Amino acid sequence: MNRATTADLALLVPELILVGMALALILAARRIQRTPLALIGTILAALAAALASTCVVPSDDATGFGGMITVDHYSRFFKVLIAAALALAALLSVRSLDEEWAPRAEYHALLLLASTGMMLAVSSLDLLTLYLGVELMTLCSIVLVGIRVDRPASNEAAIKYFLIASFASALLLFGISLTYGVTGTTNFAAIATSLRDLGSNPLLLVAMGLVAAGLAFKIAAVPFHAWAPDAYQGATAPVAAFLAAGSKAAGLAALGRVCLVAFGSEARTLTWILTGLAALSIIVGSIIALAQTDMKRLLAYSSITHAGYALLGLIAGTSEGASATMTYACFYVFMTLGAFGVVIALGERGEKLDGFQGLAAQRPGTAALMLLFLLSLTGVPPTAGFVAKFGVILNAVRADQVPLAVLAVICSVVSAFVYLRIAVLMYMKEPQEPAPSRFPVTVTAALAVTALVTLVGGISPNSLTPWAVPP
Amino acid sequence: MTEYIGIAVTFVLAGGIAAAMVILSSMLGKKNPTAIKLAPFECGKDPFSLPMGRLAVKFYMSAILFILFDVELVFLYPWAVEFRDLGLLGLAEMGVFLAIVLVGFVYAWDNGALEWK
Repeated sequence: MNRATTADLALLVPELILVGMALALILAARRIQRTPLALIGTILAALAAALASTCVVPSDDATGFGGMITVDHYSRFFKVLIAAALALAALLSVRSLDEEWAPRAEYHALLLLASTGMMLAVSSLDLLTLYLGVELMTLCSIVLVGIRVDRPASNEAAIKYFLIASFASALLLFGISLTYGVTGTTNFAAIATSLRDLGSNPLLLVAMGLVAAGLAFKIAAVPFHAWAPDAYQGATAPVAAFLAAGSKAAGLAALGRVCLVAFGSEARTLTWILTGLAALSIIVGSIIALAQTDMKRLLAYSSITHAGYALLGLIAGTSEGASATMTYACFYVFMTLGAFGVVIALGERGEKLDGFQGLAAQRPGTAALMLLFLLSLTGVPPTAGFVAKFGVILNAVRADQVPLAVLAVICSVVSAFVYLRIAVLMYMKEPQEPAPSRFPVTVTAALAVTALVTLVGGISPNSLTPWAVPP
Repeated sequence: MTEYIGIAVTFVLAGGIAAAMVILSSMLGKKNPTAIKLAPFECGKDPFSLPMGRLAVKFYMSAILFILFDVELVFLYPWAVEFRDLGLLGLAEMGVFLAIVLVGFVYAWDNGALEWK
């Protein structure tokens, strides 16, 4: 029998830090009503977790808990990314928590617990721990979406998200049970060994399809995307930003590990599934985004498109491709948090597309930042978005998927229209509304960090390469 | 496929027993129908009503708190069975688990979930 030892627990130090802070916040919930204590605690926990995942835990790759949890370069990369998304989302939340009624301590505790789930999902080596992590992330996200109990739109979004997420969980579990039926194990490495011996099995195709579908819900890839626009629109903007950044990164990481490690020998079947998901997401996301007038919905469709682009790295099942997807996930997290950050900074006005009219005349700095994030989301050099997009499209070409690469480039042009429409509104229209009030210093700090990463990532494209080590 | 025969037998037996009960009771039982007997079974509630009615949410609050202790007990039982083998480490692990569950209870208590208003 395997028993958890201190060596095992050492692998989970980042998660334990986050859980500890979340429990402390829950215990002190009644006493934390107005102070920024919850924010400071959350950011300290995120920093400590990021530090712990790079320094404290064993420097070599290690597994624990009977081969269910690992600490390797892949999980470290994503843990730091998730911690960054958590800290930035907490910084961005300050304004909406000040203006609207929301339980402060609970809000931050849920952010922390959702991040714990994400970290668990990216470091799991077993389908069941993966499910556990993904589920913890989803349950906390559902409550976060519905945290404005006094607003019907928020409740509706939470219920829709809940129903679709439970459906997705059922698919994922069904896929896991079929995988167990075929291979007799849920451990990634053991599944891979068993598949090499077994050869092809029709049941396995169903199993892989269901697991991929369950995880595609989490990253909101078409045709499993329907929840995202409604959930993002109903949620407060910081929660939508956290969902778009964190849960997408964690879902991609989980999908990447499952595809590369567990189902690595079935690369040809996986290529079919992932190519379909990627192509549909890119086409549908970029075309439907054209018709949006609500900024949160627009960014939701943008996140769907980006899920498709990120999947381009995984289609070949190669480690170079997975590395490209890791780079994509990292840069996407920062540029989408930046774009959401500007929306949050503008308050009510930023939620509508028309609110951006004439922003450059009133707040040239903010308009320039938004332009930077929009260019990055489009994929224009010298921003991080270009580096990311270049990497995954190059991988599609290397995988002999030239039509898919051409499609990706064409849809980039379509989404350029979506993003640059906002730029046109900012720079070429007259202001319709009074200039926005001063932003809280926390929002400015978050915008500065995201802008820095977006710029540095674009100027020195190889800055991430040493860390983006696939599993 | 031989390993699935057991499952098939279970299904057939379960279906057979359920069907036999229904058929036997309808054949052998006395029939004395009244309006109340014919109504669908529901615990003390009107089985058919429009969904506009209001429900006291405090019942659900207690039910959720009950689940908290229910889950706790589900994990305590197997731990108690294996208590000697698990030893001191097992005790410590259970302590951590109970502490985490209790945090939820303290939160609920602190925020007035136990007050029967």
